[in-house]
Formats: sequence, structure tokens, C-alpha cells
Amino acid sequence: MVSVKSTNNRAWFLVIPALLLLGFVAVIPLLMVVDFSLHDVFIITSKVWVGLEFYIKVLSSSRFWESFGRTLFFSAIILFTEIPLGIAIAVSMPKKGAMVAVCLVFMSLPLLVPWNMIPMIWTGVLNILEKSLATIGIDFNWKLNAFHTWIAIVLMDVWHWTSLVVFLCYSSLTTIPAAFYQTAAIDGASRWDVFRYIELPKMRGVLLMAILLRFMDSFMIWTEIYYLNAGGPLTWTMFLGIDLGEEVLAFDYSPAATRGVIYFIIIVAVSWMFKTALAAHKSDNKYGKKITVDDG
Amino acid sequence: MKSKSDYLKHSPISRLPAIIYIIFLFLPFLLLVYISFHVTIHENRWTSVHGSSTYVGQLTLLNYLHVFQNSALTASMINSVTFVLLNILITIPVALLAAYAFSRYSFKGDKHLFFGFLVLRMTPPVVMVLPVFLLFSALDLINTPFAIALAHCLFNVPISIWVLESFISAIPKELDETAFLDGYSIFRFFIRILIPLLAPGIAVASFFCFMFSWVEVAFARILTVTQGKPITMAISALFSYITDVGLVTAMTVLSIIPGALMIYFVRNHIAKGFIIRQVS
Repeated sequence: MVSVKSTNNRAWFLVIPALLLLGFVAVIPLLMVVDFSLHDVFIITSKVWVGLEFYIKVLSSSRFWESFGRTLFFSAIILFTEIPLGIAIAVSMPKKGAMVAVCLVFMSLPLLVPWNMIPMIWTGVLNILEKSLATIGIDFNWKLNAFHTWIAIVLMDVWHWTSLVVFLCYSSLTTIPAAFYQTAAIDGASRWDVFRYIELPKMRGVLLMAILLRFMDSFMIWTEIYYLNAGGPLTWTMFLGIDLGEEVLAFDYSPAATRGVIYFIIIVAVSWMFKTALAAHKSDNKYGKKITVDDG
Repeated sequence: MKSKSDYLKHSPISRLPAIIYIIFLFLPFLLLVYISFHVTIHENRWTSVHGSSTYVGQLTLLNYLHVFQNSALTASMINSVTFVLLNILITIPVALLAAYAFSRYSFKGDKHLFFGFLVLRMTPPVVMVLPVFLLFSALDLINTPFAIALAHCLFNVPISIWVLESFISAIPKELDETAFLDGYSIFRFFIRILIPLLAPGIAVASFFCFMFSWVEVAFARILTVTQGKPITMAISALFSYITDVGLVTAMTVLSIIPGALMIYFVRNHIAKGFIIRQVS
């Protein structure tokens, strides 16, 4: 159901303001980062060309690959929990009436908490959880037990970000015309069939966006994890974002820039894979139309 | 005609995921709000000078009172609101034009450009802060809410283009063609016809801008060295050797309210923003 669009290269003029703005706040800084990564910067006015030296150093360190593995694993857990959970919640939400406002407002709250406050709130929550679990004899040592720390950070991230997935899915669910449900009811379709053949296809484009957003943000997660347990116990929650954050805090800028460029390339590559994988299923969804329908 | 929910049987069990999720969301906030209404700090020199005698754990409104007595905190609220509004004012017009182009025309390289915009959203902010700082200080923009507003376009413009594009695509193309046949210029068409029709989309895009901008930490920190500090940084500054946790939580609770109000006002647009296309 792709509407026929007229070909008009003058449409570029409409994109120029966005190009200029993003060129200024994104492309130029990005090029500066690439420049820093190829130099050894002592102070901004004094730098020495070192070529790919930092890249070789970072990529040949075992620490990088360990962090990389942990981060990929974390992102995978986040996607596999938050995406299905977000879909389930969106489907089960009321679509009209006073409860819609209640649901939307409550669900928006975690998204509006300043990021530096998230770990503080969760430290309190986890301490209470630890104490109450101890009274019924369950040991939940989220600071010293690596497995428990992982449970804690996943819980925190699910709490923080699932609402975003819910909002995106919910907005596309409300666009399904009543006639679709009517026909399904006449055909005697089960609830699962309605979900599988009407709701899920409708959400596909939005889901791509949800997956991309959750992937890039979970892959670069830093503030929350760092202030909760500083990558510990030992190095069990040392993610790529924390490695980078430590170098930035130490003003070790050239290696940090090198890492930034490497991370950026990884995220773009993985996002490209998601996009191609989901574009294989053609979709008429409005939200993701541009990126899911490839050849018109 | 019956509405769609009449065709779906909703037992309480089918609502279970949403109900459990809201309870789960609610618990940490309960803790936050609970602490914010209690005295959390031992009486110190400051309180004794001011003559209030309180004890830890006492139910109180003092934390909220202290927020409004603290000029750094009240100033930070004004700063936050200013840069978020500025950001929306910059982002929406720019994104609207681009979204219109992507929605209505196909042009050379459009698909790559669309993904290209999203790619810029993927740059790790921690690395981008130094070059952005150097660039902005060369232009003498540091310490102003405008600097943060501009920097946040990095992630808000791509998202807004994507949201607005879907909303514009929901409006029948015949509308544009009729308007242009009637002699509307593209400028007049935007002001008179498109923007009023697109109000829900603009509301939703603004909410997304608000949400990502309000809570951001990395750019907000480096671009406000001495003044113009937003709420996030004002809260950070409250942590010290003896932290008044009650004050921190009260400030956090207050910082959530504007966004909650905003989602309340755009709630119907999130749900009904696409209705136009179903009619056609």
C-alpha cells in the first residue's frame, strides 16, 4: 500500500535546513573525533600524527573484546525482554476511556527521570529488595554476586525503558481500523490469530524503530551502570560504555576518540543488519515505511 | 457501528501485563515520593540558625520548601524549561520540512539520506561532547541554554523527522495537490493547511524532543561550565560530603511533573493521530 510518490529532485531543498543543522552539530564534531583518533593529543593545540596506532592498540587488547562480548550480551538480553514485554503491555492496554490517560502518564514517568537519578533510586530499591528477600531466606547480593548484579541492571533498564517500546507499539495499534477486528470476529479468529495476523504485521515498522533505539542506547549505556556498581563485581559488568567513560573522565582523549569511532562503526553495522533483516518482510506500516519498504 | 474494542473480549486476565507493569513501575516512585516527604538529614548548623528543630524520619514539607528557597535549584528549572522549548522551536520547523520531502517526494538518494539521519543519532554522546564543546566555545555559545538546545538537535532532529514523516504520510496527498491547484504557495500551504492538520504529529514529536532533552546529562554538563545549569546538573551539585537526600528526591519529583503534564495533554494524539488516513 505504498502511495505513488512523485519524483522531484527539488525536494532536496526542503532537506537542506536539516542537513545544515545536523552538519553543524553532528557531522563536523564527528569528523573532529576521527581527527583526534588519528593523533596523539596532548593539549588541543599540540598533537602528533600517529595514524592507526590507537586503533591497533584498542582492537588488540583483550579487555576490548571482553567488554564487547558483555555489551552485546547485555543488549541481546535487553532486546529479548523489553521488545516482547513492550508488545504484550501495548496489546493489553485499554484503547479508549479514562484509563488510557492513567496508563500513558504512569508509563511516561520513568522516561522523565533525570538519568543521573536512576541509579540513585535503584540503589534504594535494590537495598530494600535485598533486605526483604533476606527475611524469607533468599540471598540477593546485588553488589558482590555477578549474576545478581546482572539481574539488577536488567531490572533497572526494563523499568527505565520498556515504556518507550510500549508507546511506539501502542500508537501503531490504535491505527488499526475497527473493520479489521470486525472481520476477524465474523471469521471466528482466536485472540492469538488477531495478534499474529492483524496486530503484529501492523507493528512491524514501529518495532524496527523500537529495536534500533533500544539497541543503540543499551549498547552505549554508561551513567546508570557506572553509578550503580561501577562495572563490578570485579569486571563482570564492565561494558564498552564504561571503558569509554573512564577514558573520557581521565582526559585521555585520543584513545577515547578511537573507541568512539570504533563503537560508532559497530552500532551502524548492527543497525544496518536489523534494518535489512526487517526490510525483507515488506510492510505497509506508516511508521517504518521509509526504512522497511526498500524498492517502492 | 461498534468500536473495535467491542470485538475483542477483554477479561481482566488479558489486561494483566499492563497492570503488573504499572505496579512494577510504581514501586520505585513510591520510595522516591516517600523519602521526599521526610527529613533525611540530622539537624546541622544551618537548621539550628533558622530555628527549625527536626529529627530524621519526621514527616515534612520542608524538602519542597528548601527547593524553592534554593536559588540555584529554581534557576535550574527555568534553564531546563528554556533550553527544552528552544530545542523544540529549532527542531520542529527543520524536521517538518525534511519530513515533508521524505513523505511526498522521491528524490536521488532519499532512502540513504533517511538512514543517514538516523545514523547520526547513533554517535556515542560521551565522545561527541569534546568536539561540540570546542566548536561551541569558538562561537562563544557556552553557558547559554541555547548551546544545549542546539546540541540536542543531534538526536532530536532525526527522531522528529521520522515521527513527522509518518504523520504526514497519513494525510492524503490529494490535499496538497488541490491546494497547489488553488494557487497556494508551498509556504502558505504549510501555514494554512498542513500545520493545523498536523497538530497531533507536532505534539507527539515535541513530546519526544522534550523527553530526550529534559533528562540528558552529557552535553548538559559540558556546555554549562559556570552558569545556565539545567536540572540534571543542579541535582548532581547537591551531592556532597553530607547529602540532603530529602532535598534531592524532592527536586527529582518536581522535575518529573512538567513531562507528566505534557504527556497528559498529548495522550489523545498518541492514540488518535493517524485517524485521517483511515477515513480516506
